[in-house]
Amino acid sequence: MGAPTELLRPLATTVIGSWPVPEWLARLKTDWFRGRISHRQMQDVHETAIKAALRDQEQCGIDLVSDGELRRDNDVDYVLARMPGVEIAHTAKDFYFDYYAPQVTAPLPEPAGPGPLGLADDWAFTAAQTDRPITFSLTGPFSLAHRIRGNGYGERRELVLAVARQLNAEARALAARGATRLQLDEPFLAGHPGEVDVAVEAINLVTEGVDVSWGLHVCYGNRYARPSWEGHYDFLFPAVLEAAVDHLVLEFARKGFDDLPVVARYGWDRGVGVGVIDVKSPRVETPELVASRIRRALEFVPAERLVVNPDCGLRHLSGDVARAKLAAMVAGADLVRASLGPAQPAPAPHPSAPPAPAPEPALSQGAVT
Amino acid sequence: MLVDFRPHTRLRGSRPVDIGATVVPVLEALSDSPVDLGKVRVVADWVQYRENFRGVVDLRPILHVPAARGPAGTVPVPMGTREDDLEIAVDVRRSADVPLRELAAERLRERSDHVVLEDWGRGSESCIWDFNALYWSALELWEKASGQGYEQALPGGESDARNTDAARELVDELFAVWDRLAEARALPEELYVVELGVGNGGQAKVFLDTFRERDRDRGTGYYRRLHYLMCDYSQHVLDLARETVSEHLDHVSAFALDAVRPLTALGFLQFKVFLVYVSNVYDNLPTDEVAHLGGRTYCVETRAYLPAEAAAELAAELSAGVDELPGLVHKLLRLGPGLLPEAVPQHVPDVDRAVAFWRRTWEALRLEERYVPLAGLDTYALSDPTVRNGDAAETSLGGELLGPLLQSGADLRMHVSNGAVTSFVESLKLLHPYGTLVCHDLFVTEVEGYRTHFRGPGKYDGSVVNWVNGPLLAHVGRRHGFDIRYERFRHRSGGNIVTMSAQVGD
Repeated sequence: MGAPTELLRPLATTVIGSWPVPEWLARLKTDWFRGRISHRQMQDVHETAIKAALRDQEQCGIDLVSDGELRRDNDVDYVLARMPGVEIAHTAKDFYFDYYAPQVTAPLPEPAGPGPLGLADDWAFTAAQTDRPITFSLTGPFSLAHRIRGNGYGERRELVLAVARQLNAEARALAARGATRLQLDEPFLAGHPGEVDVAVEAINLVTEGVDVSWGLHVCYGNRYARPSWEGHYDFLFPAVLEAAVDHLVLEFARKGFDDLPVVARYGWDRGVGVGVIDVKSPRVETPELVASRIRRALEFVPAERLVVNPDCGLRHLSGDVARAKLAAMVAGADLVRASLGPAQPAPAPHPSAPPAPAPEPALSQGAVT
Repeated sequence: MLVDFRPHTRLRGSRPVDIGATVVPVLEALSDSPVDLGKVRVVADWVQYRENFRGVVDLRPILHVPAARGPAGTVPVPMGTREDDLEIAVDVRRSADVPLRELAAERLRERSDHVVLEDWGRGSESCIWDFNALYWSALELWEKASGQGYEQALPGGESDARNTDAARELVDELFAVWDRLAEARALPEELYVVELGVGNGGQAKVFLDTFRERDRDRGTGYYRRLHYLMCDYSQHVLDLARETVSEHLDHVSAFALDAVRPLTALGFLQFKVFLVYVSNVYDNLPTDEVAHLGGRTYCVETRAYLPAEAAAELAAELSAGVDELPGLVHKLLRLGPGLLPEAVPQHVPDVDRAVAFWRRTWEALRLEERYVPLAGLDTYALSDPTVRNGDAAETSLGGELLGPLLQSGADLRMHVSNGAVTSFVESLKLLHPYGTLVCHDLFVTEVEGYRTHFRGPGKYDGSVVNWVNGPLLAHVGRRHGFDIRYERFRHRSGGNIVTMSAQVGD
């Protein structure tokens, strides 16, 4: 596990990673894949969109922001297309969000040094645009490997571990550049509950020697705003107790909170990111509903270990719905926080945001894990 | 001038259509007219439906600016497009029986004495869909007057939905999924199956009988947990269907709903349904048509009318003036034949006469068409635009999705299948992650199919039929994470029915 570096207040709010893709951006991203606009133009568009997404999050009052994954065509291809040894026969796409059919016909080359995927530049750009702490997300080795056809290995486990070694090299580059909070997203894991041991082994390879705060997000899928799997989180335990991560970031708003006792029953004593916003529904939750969900979570996890977030990425929601949901989420967290006792510090305000509340004592996120 | 003769199979064979005889008289009429020959298109189609909404020769104005500018303000005209003024459409099937040159010349003189029933609007907004809805809601009266059940009006005389082999295959596939989930302790207690457009319950009965039998043989107890939801627009149809499945009523619920919006009644089942079964429904839902002509995209606007001769006869039968006809037709559509005699007893003294008025009007009904430029695909709402409710935003799809299909470089006119797309997207939201949607219908499976054949609208007795835009549904399905497959209906040879299946992609 990495060394925590940011000071977070209890019930800090964050997003899982992705941000809504406006229709104009969708069209431009598709135009890029059809060769109609240049790489430099697309870079400029992405950077403009990321800046806007950061402002949106700041104005909603989100404590830990993300780049919205707006440079990515989807949760898999952006990483796999950069991974040495991964072959993609057809790189044309009807729409940017379509998926490639990547394959591996020979073992992946061992990373020659840090940063084989070039994501540290993405992080650095984001960091230069905001004063708030950033969570930078990566699709995890288990899910990435499951999107690869063929295989250059005798067993899939070997492929998963090879992908993990690439991600570890990337994580080292990210940490060296200044990243302090990294998150691995494993949307495929719930569909293969019998393989959780391999997934944890691979996650530990990714996090090895990378001194940051690590989150592990396990949901039931959010591909095109629908679940890919169904079941219960009990499959994660006890294997996930061995995962070298600081936070387990889970989906509850859509599924309900019946699985939450599982987390406590198995003795998970680290942070929990609790999903309180259903990202598969455009209906905006009320602050009171969010507060009730947080309070339900507090029955099992103390406030100091709880981070408040949507169930998954916001990519498939419209911008106005996403902003309204996040505003409700922040307001709901405020309601609960106000009932917890002495007030806690708010994040630094954005110049255009409403006046901030009075300063409050801060808590080290690491001190309570 | 551009002549577009759609290459139907009737151009070849032992008794081929004489292309010259079909087109030359129209060209002669054009050359005699003052129409700018550099800005006219001639389109010849084999209109497959004997009952349809077209004249033998139709004129379709091609507008150069959108009818209403709307919020987009001034709309720039793309450079390098070909801007025709007029399209002349010929129904090849019927053109041999008429003096084509004279008919075309008459149309070109453009002094129409049609009785217009509505303003110009998108195809999905036309009153033909009110007639369609009336047919299903007052089906009992129509069937009594026609002396035959609606299934007899279908081309094959019955629906393919009753095929036992198809039912067995469906059931076995469901059981295979459930077995795997049960093994992983992920099978929910309640097992939901939804059928949209239940017809007379024949399919439901075959499915339920097969299901019970297979379950009994395997001893898996799935029948005990099964909830079969029969859904249909028509309460009359649902009542019939309930009688048909009377042996299974403990496991069956009936919902009267509009197939376009299944979530309105079934929202509580989101992500819970293992099978959504749809048979011969999508071809009967409202649709627009769009066209890409000369490098520019158009919406095909329509307006319903009654030809002058038919209108005069109808008015005489009702003891009414011709100018009163539009009002009477709209009263019929609003009140139905059951209540119309109470509203206008001086014209329609009893229900039988009201039904006769309805049937006669439907028979005479035609559609005028015109092409209106779209300001941009993103300004066009793809989801069924006739439905407005609080949840509309949930299934609002932008017209950008049409881009890959329309912008292939060649001229094309195709259905948007708005109602089918909306219904399809809502149905996908019902599906459990391991669920399947199975749909038997008239699908165009390749875009090219719209360049070669007339795809509707046609008339089945009192209802409307349009072939469904399969490539569009496949595209929309992919956008929602589903693999979409089309194949010929496997359990009966011949016929045009195609099976579409949708399952969550890997």
